[in-house]
Amino acid sequence: MADILDILDIEHPGAGEISRDSIIHGDKIKKKYITAKSVKRPEGMHREVFALLYNDSNKDLPPLLPTDSGKAYKQTKAKLGMRKARKWTWAPFNNPARKDNAVFHHWKRASDEAKEYPFAQFNKQVSIPSYTESEYNQYLKSEDWSQAETDHLMDMCQRFDLRFIVIHDRWDRAAFRDRSIEDLKERYYGICATLSKVKTNPWSNTVTTVNGEKRIYHYDAEHEKKRKEQLKRLFDRTQDQIDEEQMLLTELKKIEARKRERERKTQDLQKLISRADSGNMPVTNTVPNNTEATHTPSNVSTNNIVRRHDRKLHKKKLSTQQRPVRTMETVTVEWSGIKFPEARSTGVWLRSQRMKLPPGVGQRKTKAIEQELRLMNIDIAPTPTEAICKHFNELRSDLALALDLKNALAACEFDLQALRHQYEALNPGKTLPIPASLCNTTDGETKPMGEIIDVVGSPSALNSTI
Amino acid sequence: MSGPNGMLYGGDEIGALVFDPGHHSLRVGYAQEDTPKADIPAVVGVGPATHIPDAEEKVPDGNITQSGTKAGNELRHYIDVTELHVPRPGMEVQTYMKDGQVDNWDLFEKMLDYCYAKVIRSPSEHHPALFTEAVWTTRPAREKLAELLFEKYQAPAFFLVKNAVLAAFANGKSTALVVDAGASQTSAVPVIDGYALVSAAVRSPVGGDHLAAQAKTMLTNMHIQMLPIYSIQSKEVIRERERARYTLKTLPAGLTHSWQQYMLKRQYEDFCHCVAQVSESAYDERTAVLVPGVHYEFPGGYHQDFGPERFKLTECLFEQTLGAPHLVTSAVSACDADARVALWGSIVMCGGVAGASGWAERVGRELANRAPSSHRLKTHAPPAPLERRFAAWIGGSILASIGSFQQMWISSQEYDEGGKGQLERKCP
Repeated sequence: MADILDILDIEHPGAGEISRDSIIHGDKIKKKYITAKSVKRPEGMHREVFALLYNDSNKDLPPLLPTDSGKAYKQTKAKLGMRKARKWTWAPFNNPARKDNAVFHHWKRASDEAKEYPFAQFNKQVSIPSYTESEYNQYLKSEDWSQAETDHLMDMCQRFDLRFIVIHDRWDRAAFRDRSIEDLKERYYGICATLSKVKTNPWSNTVTTVNGEKRIYHYDAEHEKKRKEQLKRLFDRTQDQIDEEQMLLTELKKIEARKRERERKTQDLQKLISRADSGNMPVTNTVPNNTEATHTPSNVSTNNIVRRHDRKLHKKKLSTQQRPVRTMETVTVEWSGIKFPEARSTGVWLRSQRMKLPPGVGQRKTKAIEQELRLMNIDIAPTPTEAICKHFNELRSDLALALDLKNALAACEFDLQALRHQYEALNPGKTLPIPASLCNTTDGETKPMGEIIDVVGSPSALNSTI
Repeated sequence: MSGPNGMLYGGDEIGALVFDPGHHSLRVGYAQEDTPKADIPAVVGVGPATHIPDAEEKVPDGNITQSGTKAGNELRHYIDVTELHVPRPGMEVQTYMKDGQVDNWDLFEKMLDYCYAKVIRSPSEHHPALFTEAVWTTRPAREKLAELLFEKYQAPAFFLVKNAVLAAFANGKSTALVVDAGASQTSAVPVIDGYALVSAAVRSPVGGDHLAAQAKTMLTNMHIQMLPIYSIQSKEVIRERERARYTLKTLPAGLTHSWQQYMLKRQYEDFCHCVAQVSESAYDERTAVLVPGVHYEFPGGYHQDFGPERFKLTECLFEQTLGAPHLVTSAVSACDADARVALWGSIVMCGGVAGASGWAERVGRELANRAPSSHRLKTHAPPAPLERRFAAWIGGSILASIGSFQQMWISSQEYDEGGKGQLERKCP
């Protein structure tokens, strides 16, 4: 409401006259909102009648007559502090932060009473420990530092407020030998520690009191030196070194990505194998002990690097998440082929619903199964009697498994060939004799499953032949 | 100074003066103002006192005043452009600066006399004086200045600050690496918490004067004659690259060589100022040709467009080991490892040459190639060329008007008690 009044430039109590106070404390003055007096409708009077009576001209009814007298849109002249201008004088002042009572002049209001120079409060000093000569001889003697040099250090600390970089820069190299920043700091904090032990006056900057017990800041110069050395080395790297590091990092990333890819493949393979096996025996662990050896040794040297990094990286990760291969070992795979959903419990349903492939089966797989069915001259949608349903589902499940295995076999075969070519490229003139058991000959399909599992599981046989 | 709620803000002005002596000019003005009151060439013309200027030598406003200079040993000193730029027989131009510090104190005194009498127009004993100095100013020079101010000028208070520190303050930094590209030299000075690190400061003799000298060589090679502007009576309007047609003025005999050289140098500086441009990366003929040329008319009336030459000219400022980027890297690497991150993070550029168009961008670009990639590199340069030129003075103006600074002045009382020896302690 008040905002609207402001916009319409209608005065309301509180905005009164513009004065200096209202400008300075402008936002502090709380805007008073006029609370509408609630006029009560007398008992027995009709609402419509009361509405006629009720006068809300100062609320939101538009005025019936034009009230614009022509003044409202004019810029009202600001009436700034209708007081007399206060005088300024060029007055002398004394700065208590100065020790010499020098008098400077500045402009001030003649009416303002003389106060202490306000900026003097910013005169802060660092407290630096002091010592007498006897104290020095008693506690602070050092083989490395003479008293004159120590005095110089303390003086510099006071002058430059413990900015050791500046102290080091302004160190009197003519009188004393050149010292490193660490030397200076070590000496200074050493003195502070010694003095705070023997004296009662604690030096605010080095001694903190924690739980009523004095803690003295201990400066570890050796550590600081090492840290600076490392920092310098980091900064002084040449562009070539930085580039090399970047290159190595990207290589590492690539290697890890490749490794993950390989692990994923192995895992898929493991799943398949266990699925195939689940028909005759409950497979709990088809993976041999050395899981890391399951990496197809496409590149033995990379493999080694990977393993090294692997160990490093996984040390951290292991705490939070298990490696995917390791979890594989403990998983008991019972599921094979396609798992058809159980019949729903309630309601009427078509039996043909049972033969519907579950949504988890991919488009490609569905197509492949249908293709196989066609080859076998089996109707894609047979009449769903109870028995047909069961057998049809089983058949399709087995088909899916067979397809997976075929694919896996092809992949292995491809890997094997690729390795052979690699071997021959690396050792020209030699050929890699592949054991017949590994070759995917025409009778490969008739081979018992167990053998394939063994081969995939432990490529040690493969390694030995290489 | 203080608000109605008891909070303290702003500064406290005590009528202090800020002097910023440089090789090219001396800047002087009141603290708390944003630009100096005067920017006076840092040279003094010394001529025989007997000379009475002829009417035709007068500069347009006819402002040849006698009061600005004092006759001493029957010599007159001519200070500031209105006096100095008039051809006078036998007037030698001398500078009082050498290697970044005041060298000829007699001439410098004349300059200060002029400042108080003609610029400030107020007695020196009313105004505390803050002077800037180069980082490598020697102790005798500092003490001599304090002595001069307190004993001759009766200044109520005096203070000396390194110009690199002030340039950092002018840019709102207390820790910065200040690159000052001045007339006689370029320097890089690390400033930590308002203290310049003297041992890490580096400088090279490449600056605005060098650039002007290069411009002279370039124009000579191009067979363009730079006629002194004071020698031209009138000139005709001609087409571009046409032979200049002009009539010469009759000049008084006995113009000194130093004065002529000084006047010509001003003209070469003007040429550099108008024409020279720093290319974004190292000079490349092909890209330089693509940039439209800049037109320049010489005093004789000859005029032409300058194309790639403008870029070629400034390459002398970026020579391998003398250029600003190299200075910055060597200054930073001379600092403590802990300070380097902060220094790379605030590199402040100032000085007259830094006002050349493209200079700051070029330095920033070259530094980006040199700075370690682990650091955040940030360069600061005030947008206005004048602010870059006056950075140290502006910093002084800010500092001298801060309320908490007023306790730092060396007052005349302190000077009387402690002598000039305390200067090293009080003005670090």
